[in-house]
Amino acid sequence: MKNILLVAAREYKQIASTRGFWVMLLVLPVVIGISQVAGRFFQPERNSAYVLVDQSGQYEQAIDRRLMLNYQRIELSAFSAYVQRWGLASVKPDAVWAKGERWFSDAQIEQFVAEGGIEAGATLVNPHRPKEAPAYDIDPPPYLRAPLPAGITTTDGPDAIAAGLAGNLTGEIETPQGKRPLALAVFIPAEVSTTTPVRMWTNGAPNTTLVDNVRNEITRLQRAKALETSGLTPEAAAAITSITTPIDLSAPPQGSGREQVMIRSALPLALVYLLLVTVMTTGSMMLQGVIEERSNKLLESILAAIRPADLMYGKLIGLGAIGLTILGVWVGAAVGAALAVQGMVADIVKPSLSAIEPWMFGAMLFYFLAGYLIISMLYLAIGALSNSLQDAQSYLMPVIMLIMLPVIFMMVSVIQQPNGVFPAIMSWIPLYTPFAMLARLGAGVSVIEVLGTGAMLAAFVVVEMILLGRLFQASLLRTGQPPKLGSFIAMIMGKHTA
Amino acid sequence: MAILKLDHVVKRFGEFTAVNNLSFEVAEGGIFGFLGGNGAGKTTSLRMALDIIRPTSGAIEILGRKPGRENAAEIGFLPEERGLYRRMSVIDTIVYFGRLKGMDAAKARKEAERLIERFGLTEWTKSMVEKLSKGMSQKVQVAAAMVNSPRLLILDEPFSGLDPVNQKVLEDLVLEMAQAGSTVVFSTHIMQHAERLTNRIVLLSRGRKVFEGTQEEARATLPGRLTLTAQNDPSQLPGIASATRTGGADGWSNWAVSLKPGVSPGELLQACTSGGFALRGFESHRPSLHDVFIHLVGGQPETVNAEKAS
Repeated sequence: MKNILLVAAREYKQIASTRGFWVMLLVLPVVIGISQVAGRFFQPERNSAYVLVDQSGQYEQAIDRRLMLNYQRIELSAFSAYVQRWGLASVKPDAVWAKGERWFSDAQIEQFVAEGGIEAGATLVNPHRPKEAPAYDIDPPPYLRAPLPAGITTTDGPDAIAAGLAGNLTGEIETPQGKRPLALAVFIPAEVSTTTPVRMWTNGAPNTTLVDNVRNEITRLQRAKALETSGLTPEAAAAITSITTPIDLSAPPQGSGREQVMIRSALPLALVYLLLVTVMTTGSMMLQGVIEERSNKLLESILAAIRPADLMYGKLIGLGAIGLTILGVWVGAAVGAALAVQGMVADIVKPSLSAIEPWMFGAMLFYFLAGYLIISMLYLAIGALSNSLQDAQSYLMPVIMLIMLPVIFMMVSVIQQPNGVFPAIMSWIPLYTPFAMLARLGAGVSVIEVLGTGAMLAAFVVVEMILLGRLFQASLLRTGQPPKLGSFIAMIMGKHTA
Repeated sequence: MAILKLDHVVKRFGEFTAVNNLSFEVAEGGIFGFLGGNGAGKTTSLRMALDIIRPTSGAIEILGRKPGRENAAEIGFLPEERGLYRRMSVIDTIVYFGRLKGMDAAKARKEAERLIERFGLTEWTKSMVEKLSKGMSQKVQVAAAMVNSPRLLILDEPFSGLDPVNQKVLEDLVLEMAQAGSTVVFSTHIMQHAERLTNRIVLLSRGRKVFEGTQEEARATLPGRLTLTAQNDPSQLPGIASATRTGGADGWSNWAVSLKPGVSPGELLQACTSGGFALRGFESHRPSLHDVFIHLVGGQPETVNAEKAS
């Protein structure tokens, strides 16, 4: 055991002392950090502007109100999630944002606006938030009404307006809150008809929500006007055009239902990707290490002092420790950043951690380590068979394809249907068991399936260690061309003379 | 007591027999030469002694025990094909090998520092191996083999690749180890080193032992060779196998003479004197190990070792 640990420590130290390892180790946390800093300091303005010329005088206020209500709907949804996350519903239990809902009717939005909207809600709640909770960050309205630039008047015709705004549509326009990209310009003639239609100009990146809101509001008012023309009172016409189908939409509370599955799956799914990335990265390191030992002719010196099996186990443990270091730093950085910065990522990571039952952590660790071992052994055997990296490439390519392609297909499948046939079958093929089971754990897997696949996986690891261990040991002092199939099989079966 | 004993050892790689029924013993103490041409089976035999590979048949004893890694603490080994971890420092390399052989970290470091100084590598102590010259790398390898002050030091072609100065350094070190009580077994196909260092030798050819004994016993396998300056043809003298005239002047001829096996130069000189054979010059040539090697192996090239070809 002492020799195994000595080899493991040497492998670990050797890799950890390379610049490439530190670059790889730190690249993810640094990218996360930079993205946070950049997000904070260099975040682009989140809203854009629109210009509205209403020569009829009938639509302007209604459109502005519709856009305001739409903005309040978005904010109400986000504010409701904030209130749930920090347990602030008791501040005003009867408020629409205190119910933990995610879908709001127009009436609820109207009520929310009547109570002062997002500004009033945030002002009410902020004094009661816990110390660790940040103040609710009110997003500005996504669309700002911009006044007409100098040189254009509301009496100008559409062509003159289009010409006057041409420069703004390729750049920005002045708003009460500073310059913003001009996303949409709307011209409503005095009389809307097929010959004098409503004109809209976009900057080439039109926001469909903005366009839809404007169009729907004009349409609604047009219909009301038509109803009035046909003899209805303005009140009746307004009532008809305001009809919306009464829908009682029931959705599970935040953090439950399908969302809960996704939340529970977040960490296991992340582990699948981390397993792939770390095992492929450290596997390459292991491969290079074995090839270096073979090409440097230093194996004989080592094998005079320790058993080939000790060398193999030492390498696996050393590289395993490297993998766990990478995993620990990356996961730690991601979780730390998520918890530190709050926001949407925290909405996933925090519940994900709390939704995972203790036994799932054990299962995740088992599947991760088993997956790591299975693929590391493949790399180790390939390294022992190869005289150079070029040799190794010819073996590696089919092996990587054999692992990666089914795993990629499985991941796509598992996100749509975690317990579908394909992921379920993959769970029972030991080479893919770690990936499939990690991916499915969050969706709820039966104990029998966990125990069954776990036992099969453990047996596979043992058999692989024996067979590939023989190959590794028989290949260590081999020179010359890579072995042919017969020799290869003889090595695996332990019949190679050495 | 034999520190290394091979008893009818055979090693086959497929159809190829690398070592064929080899038996010999190495007594504890002194320097033992394991000689033979390339592909004679020397490296294969040493690998079997170290349990790196297993014999097909026969028995091996090393340090009075079966081959195995439990012997590593008392053995130093410098393989023929050498290499080091390129991105490991000189001292870490030597300490690592010491620790693999069971030394504790402090003792391994202390001994490594001593050897580094002994080999003149002090200023390179913390340098990466990749920055060393080939000669310096070989010194590090030798130091790694010796770090555990082994009871048995096995050196496989230790002088290959070393310049004459470093060959001398290594020769001195081998002698020093032997004087300190270690048994040194080294294989070589360069007979001059064996001639200077060894007490006893085993000579291999094509996997078979062709000689085992002292250097003098090895030389005795060759017919004696002399140069005579005489007036008459010495062919008819008793004990002479052949005589060839190589030159001469003033009525005296130089003769290259080979003696029959078992006939010593002294016996020939006595026969000349008692028979009134006129001599002006009599020079006995001591055969070298190189001569013995050529004589016993016959100058035929060894077959390529199947182990290396497989």
